[in-house]
Amino acid sequence: MLTLNNVSVGYDAIDVLHGVSITAKPGELTVILGANGSGKTTLFKTISGLLRARTGTIEYNDQAIQRARANSIVKRGIAHCPEGRHLFGKMSVEKNLRLGTYPHRNRARTEEILAEVLDLFPILREKASDPAGSLSGGQQQMVAIGRALMSDPSLLILDEPSMGLAPIVVDQVLESVAQINRNGIGVLLSEQNAKASLAIAHRGYVLAEGRVVLEGDADQLLHNPDVQAAYLGL
Amino acid sequence: MTLFIQQLFNGFALGGVYCLAAIGLTLVFGVLRIPNLAHGSLYMLGAYVTYFFLTTVGVPYVAAIGIAALVLFCLGILLERLVFRPLQNSPHTHHMIAAIGAMFFFQAVAQAIWGADFRRMETPISGSLHILGAEISAQRIVIIVTAVVVLALLTWFIKRSIHGQTIEATEQDRTGAALVGINPSMVAMLTLGLSALLVTIAAGLVAPINLLSPTMGDSLNLKVFAIIILGGLGSLPGAIVGSFVLAIAETMTSTYISSAVGEVIAFVVLVAVLAIKPTGLFSKAVQR
Repeated sequence: MLTLNNVSVGYDAIDVLHGVSITAKPGELTVILGANGSGKTTLFKTISGLLRARTGTIEYNDQAIQRARANSIVKRGIAHCPEGRHLFGKMSVEKNLRLGTYPHRNRARTEEILAEVLDLFPILREKASDPAGSLSGGQQQMVAIGRALMSDPSLLILDEPSMGLAPIVVDQVLESVAQINRNGIGVLLSEQNAKASLAIAHRGYVLAEGRVVLEGDADQLLHNPDVQAAYLGL
Repeated sequence: MTLFIQQLFNGFALGGVYCLAAIGLTLVFGVLRIPNLAHGSLYMLGAYVTYFFLTTVGVPYVAAIGIAALVLFCLGILLERLVFRPLQNSPHTHHMIAAIGAMFFFQAVAQAIWGADFRRMETPISGSLHILGAEISAQRIVIIVTAVVVLALLTWFIKRSIHGQTIEATEQDRTGAALVGINPSMVAMLTLGLSALLVTIAAGLVAPINLLSPTMGDSLNLKVFAIIILGGLGSLPGAIVGSFVLAIAETMTSTYISSAVGEVIAFVVLVAVLAIKPTGLFSKAVQR
C-alpha cells in the first residue's frame, strides 16, 4: 500500500503540489486525472524519488520512502515508467528490457518476466534487436512499460502512457495496462483520457493546480457531474 | 619505404597510447558531462607510480603497471568523490576550475616526491623485430598488442557485463538509468576510476620511451582533448579512430616535414575536421 500524506513539492521557490494526500491499495488500479500542469508528473516523480518532497510523508508497505533515492525506491517494488519514456535509445529493445532487471538480477525470474512482457507486447519480439530509439512512439511506450515490469514491481507507476499516440494505439496501451493490473500488479496511472482510464480503474483522484479536488471509486467519479463537465465533455 | 613502414608502426604505437588515454576521457565526458582537465595529470601520476613500483620497490614491469593501474583506479574514485561530486549541482565552470586545481595539486605532489628533474625509466623489454625490412622496437610491439587487448576487454566490459552496461545506460539517459535502479554516483566513481586505470596503462607503456617529468601530462592532455573532440565527444569509436588518425598524422609529419609541425598537426587536423563537421567524426547527440 502506497500512502502519501500531506505532500508538498516544488521547484525552486514555487510549490507545484500543495498538501497532496493519496492512497494506492495493493493490486488496485488507481488513476490520477488532471489537466496539463495540474501536477501529475511532479507527483509521480516525487513518489519514485526523482524529486524530493518539501514536506509530508510517503509510505510504501509501512516504510517511509520520502527520503530515498530513485535507484533504491525501484528496489522496494515501485517501478516508474516516466513521461518521455527515458529509454536507452541506442541500445536494443532486448537490452533495454534486460537492464530493467537491474534491481533483482535473478536469472530465472528475468526469463519468466521477459516472456510475460513479450506475450503482452508481441510486436517487441520482432523488434528485439532494433535500437529502442528507432521504434514508433507506441512501440517505445511498450518498451518503457516492459522495462518497468522487468524490475518485478508490486506497484507500477505509469505517467500518461497514451500521450502523443494514435487513438487506436491508445486503446491497445490502456488494454495492456488493464491486463497488467489483472495479473496482480498495482497500477498508479495518470491520464487525460478520463473516460477510458476510469473504465479500467478501481479508484480515482482528480488533481487541479496541485491539489486533490475530488476522489472516489472509479464508478462514482465516472458519474460525477463535475468530472463529466471537466473531463468527459458531457 | 622502409622508413615509411617504420613510422607507420611508430604511429600505431603512439595511437595505442593516445587511444588508452582518450577513451577514459570520452567516457568521463559521456557519464559526468564534464571535461576532466586533470586527465593529463593522472597520466603523469600513472607514469610515476609505475616508475616507483618498478625502480624503487623492484617488482617486474608488467606487475608494476598493474599495481599502478589499481592505485590510480582508487585515485580516480577519490577524485570523483571528493572533487566532482560536491560540485554536481553547480555551474560547469566550477568543474573546470576544480579540475585545473586537481591538476596543479597532482603536479605539485609529483614534484615534491620525485623532484622536477626528468627521470628515465629503463626499458625492461629490449630488442627489436624486423618487419618488411623495418626495425620495430619490441616495446612498440608490446604497446600495440596491449592496447588492442585492453580495448577488447573494455568493449566486452561495457557491452556485456552488467556493471559496464550501467555506464552506457547512464550515458544514454541518466533519468532512465536511475529508474531502473542504477546508482548514478556509483557509475560516476566507476567511470573516473576506469579512466584513470586506462590512462595509467598508457603511461606505463610509453614511459620507457619518453622521459618522466611532473609536466609530462600537459601535451598529452591537449592532444587527447583534440582527439575526443575530433571523434565526437562521448563516442568510443570516435576516440579510437581519432587516436590513430592523429598519431599517424603526427609521426608522418614529424618524419617527412619537421618535428615542430608534428607537434601542431593534431590541432591542424582538429581545425579542419571542425570546419567541415563541427560535431566531430562520430558525433552523438549530447542530452543534458
